[in-house]
Amino acid sequence: MRHVIFRVEKERYGLPLSAVREVVVPPERYTRVPRAPSAITGVMNLRGRVVTVVELRQLLHLPEGPTPLCRVVLLDRGRRDLGLLVTDVDGIEAVERVSAAPGKVMPAVRGVARLGGLGVTVLDPEGLDAAVVALFTPSK
Amino acid sequence: MTMDMSRYLGLFISEATEHLEALGRDLVELEREATASTVDSMFRHAHSVKGMASSMGFEPIAMLAHRVEDLVDAVRGDRKLLDRDLVDLLLSAADTLTAQVRAVASSREPEQAEPLLQQLSARVRALTGHAPAVTRVAHVTVLKPAEASSEAGSATGDGTAGGVGASDAAGTSGGAAGASGDTASGSGGTASASGSGGTPAGSSASGSAASGSTGSGGTAGASASGSGSGGAAGTSGSGPSAGASGTADASGLVASGAPGSAAGTSGSGTSGSASGTPGPDSGAGRDGPGASGAAGSTALAVLPPASLMPPRELSSPDALYGAPTGQSLVRVPAEVDPGSPVAALAAGLKAVTNVGVDGRAAAPRWSVRLRISPTCQVPGVRAFLVHKRLSTLGTLVDLRPPLEELKAGRIPDGFIQVDLETAVGEAGIQTALRNVAEVEVVSVSQAVPEPPIIAVPPPTSDSARATADASSRTVRVRTELLDYFLDTVGELMLATARLREVGKELPENTRPALEEGVYRLHTLVKDLHDKVMSARMTPLSLITDRLPRAARDLARRKEREVELVITGAEIELDRAILDELADPLLHLLRNCIDHGLEAPEERLAAKKSVRGRVLVTVRRARDRVIIDIEDDGRGMDPVRLKASALKRGLITEEAAARMADRDAFLLSCLPGVSTAKELTDISGRGVGMDAVKRVVESVGGTLEIDSERGRGTVFTLRLPLTVAVVHLLLVQVGEEVFGLPIAKVVGATEADPETLSRSRETALLPHGNGLLPVHPLEVLLGVPASPRPGFRPFVVMEGDAGTGKVALAVDRLLGQEEVVLKPLSRPLDLLPGLSGVTILGNGRPVFILDVPRLLTA
Amino acid sequence: MAKRVLVVDDAIFMRNMIKDIFASGGFEVVGEAANGLEAVEKFKELKPDLTTMDIVMPFKSGIEATREIIKADSSAVVIMCSALGQESLVMEAIEAGASDFIVKPFRAEDVLAVVKKVLGEA
Repeated sequence: MRHVIFRVEKERYGLPLSAVREVVVPPERYTRVPRAPSAITGVMNLRGRVVTVVELRQLLHLPEGPTPLCRVVLLDRGRRDLGLLVTDVDGIEAVERVSAAPGKVMPAVRGVARLGGLGVTVLDPEGLDAAVVALFTPSK
Repeated sequence: MTMDMSRYLGLFISEATEHLEALGRDLVELEREATASTVDSMFRHAHSVKGMASSMGFEPIAMLAHRVEDLVDAVRGDRKLLDRDLVDLLLSAADTLTAQVRAVASSREPEQAEPLLQQLSARVRALTGHAPAVTRVAHVTVLKPAEASSEAGSATGDGTAGGVGASDAAGTSGGAAGASGDTASGSGGTASASGSGGTPAGSSASGSAASGSTGSGGTAGASASGSGSGGAAGTSGSGPSAGASGTADASGLVASGAPGSAAGTSGSGTSGSASGTPGPDSGAGRDGPGASGAAGSTALAVLPPASLMPPRELSSPDALYGAPTGQSLVRVPAEVDPGSPVAALAAGLKAVTNVGVDGRAAAPRWSVRLRISPTCQVPGVRAFLVHKRLSTLGTLVDLRPPLEELKAGRIPDGFIQVDLETAVGEAGIQTALRNVAEVEVVSVSQAVPEPPIIAVPPPTSDSARATADASSRTVRVRTELLDYFLDTVGELMLATARLREVGKELPENTRPALEEGVYRLHTLVKDLHDKVMSARMTPLSLITDRLPRAARDLARRKEREVELVITGAEIELDRAILDELADPLLHLLRNCIDHGLEAPEERLAAKKSVRGRVLVTVRRARDRVIIDIEDDGRGMDPVRLKASALKRGLITEEAAARMADRDAFLLSCLPGVSTAKELTDISGRGVGMDAVKRVVESVGGTLEIDSERGRGTVFTLRLPLTVAVVHLLLVQVGEEVFGLPIAKVVGATEADPETLSRSRETALLPHGNGLLPVHPLEVLLGVPASPRPGFRPFVVMEGDAGTGKVALAVDRLLGQEEVVLKPLSRPLDLLPGLSGVTILGNGRPVFILDVPRLLTA
Repeated sequence: MAKRVLVVDDAIFMRNMIKDIFASGGFEVVGEAANGLEAVEKFKELKPDLTTMDIVMPFKSGIEATREIIKADSSAVVIMCSALGQESLVMEAIEAGASDFIVKPFRAEDVLAVVKKVLGEA
């Protein structure tokens, strides 16, 4: 299956092509979302749509650190108003065998695969969605 | 095709000058004696100048002449209205027109006479009560040296250009091609783009048209989904000033069943071949038998509306139009080999092969469904012509829309349904309409259908549905596509607002022209918005249809008998609102059955019938839709609700004492109020009632509750028909801007926070006879801000039953704005205190605050 | 054989433009008239396959002229040249027997498409 491959710093991630609507350059400034969890960078106006941008790093509980963040990966279908802030987008690649990811099970992660000799973490669109919703649910 | 207009320039100058001189003479004559013939003559002169100038693309001249024409027309009926002022005004208009023509003569662009235009329109408006119509002008560039190649204007050159356009369209999307046509032509382009792409009912785009690009008429087996990607797109892409899409559609569409016609229009054989390769992504479009412009053997192919969608959409197979929308359009002439898939397809719908037989059938009532081309500029006249043609064939039994509506051009999506009794049969009907431009015969069927004669595979459910669609006048549009349209229109509005902003930066003398343009753009976009909105209207039955089943299940579980009566479900609401309402409605129904209705024995004791009743009544009241969900159960107890709220510290003793019952019922919408264990009779009322209220308000509606002990409860939802427009007060805190609904703003004032009295940590603002608690907005919202010491603005807001009025401290009041409310999408809807979001003219998203929720959550 | 056309308009500018459009479409313009009176006379004299008819003209309006032409030859094909805002006049002309209409400002391809359609060539 074809996947959009992108990076958060040096780590590579993939999302099924069918789950990605487009990739855009972030706006100069976001509208801050009041009382939102810190993973929410803000909302942006994408051709009349209000898109919520989530920092993928925080969503995946990656260690904090300054990253030159320069792309927003917009999800498709029922998640059209959601964008993931990533470092860069590498391209579209066919990802075949996905095996279980080592370590803690996260709903947003479907598994890992090998691509050109390097590892790539394959994300799960539904899981990402759930992870975002979980950020907003106070009972955590 | 582009005409070389520059060769008419000399003629334009001399003839327009003549007309203007004559107009001047008439005006002077008029002052001596205002005869009808003088006024008529003035009208003709102005009309002629308008016509010529618009053909030449001299917009300022055409507009001015148009206004003069309008004004003269307005005084035609009563010449006494022609006072000295009016004659003066007309004379100066004539002078200005002369000067403009002279400017053209010396190769300068004529200047826009904005003040004069405004004066004239003011007079027209005063006399007629309506604003003058927009002047339509051909987009040609006459004054600049013409480029030899694009001005060639021959059929051959055109065909080539069309081909290029078509392949462009295939590569990107029909929408894009249409758009370029629009830029060039200013009129046909848009209409066609939406016509070909955006008529999911499946207006069929034909193989070919005037400019000669051929749509590949893909007919993929019996499912009939085809893709003709060339068609309209090719034409509209044909040159910088051509944009001839209208023609492409019109002639192409009606070409159905006229053998040899497909390529005929262009007059150039070269264009006959299928240049419009389906987009690489439009998987469904395989070239069918009718493709490659086999000179009209199947003149119609289905242009997937998907071509209007962004490229991304095209790549997923399901983004393409499924069969159901398409087939009703595919018509096949009788000559087609019955063995071919195309014929099979046609037979699946309604065999056309039996035309000859049916023509003399005994039951001569025919149902004709037509579509006026979306590019038609005057659909009313077009429809009238069709009506006239058909009435000559026999007796018109039914016409939808009715004639008056037709004449006024009020034809939803251009579809017309005519039932007529005639002996001429389908062939005769087709013949009568064959020569009418800009009309597509969607279907001709006998009112009493006969089974298909030829043996063919049985109609699939899809094709059956298609036939049903054709007769019920409905059009299937995917919600996503509707959303896309709305988004795009939203973008257009945004772009227009931006243009207006940019215009303010321009030097004074160039501004009027831009402002006029922006104004027109604004009007057009608004109109388009209205159309898109009306296309989004969906009957409530879409969600109420689920209620009976839900009611039955709930009643069974509770071992109760429930009668659910739904009325008015045919009333329509915007799809976006409808989608939001599904859960709240279900929730209210559950509340009625679970908690409103008593157990059977209790009902018997109360001398009620064992069977409980829940009524869902939908009605229209002007621009609102009102939904009542009413039960005949035990009702709610305002005293207990107040007590519960009091206990939870949500209201004060004093407030409770003053509170009217209606407000007390709404306490059930405060989170947690009725989950208190002791309130057994209303337990559960509060579960999700806060969510119900929030959703209803987020789409711009209101929720009211009325109840009577022992008699029952009514929940009333008042909803806007379309996505809400709200008035906001914009305020700034720190770097951020927020919107407060004006409806909830009591007033604004300024004060120095330091001087305010305090009760514990809360500052108190004097208001009326009392003190209001002050909440700095930056604190409420968690926004970084460092208010300067000294006076700060305060906004006094209505609270709800629980909070009462409050004062919000902000950094700046930015003013009022009317905005379109967007509901919050996931995950923003999970945040308490936000009721919606909107995008301002500067492109900035701004949240609309729900202050009571901010305070309580 | 090329179809024969009579062009009626009170403006030479318009007539020339229409003539050129027809020429580019392979038609033969056999005559012109600058008002309704002339139009009826020319029609009777030339018996064209098609007549384009301006609406607003001196002496006799295009609608009157159309009515008389249809009276003289019920199979006459008359196409009204209208502008936006003249809808009711065009409907009147259709009642009077006009076959179709075109809307100013003209685009060559629109005009030819309507004309060919009306003549059954499209």
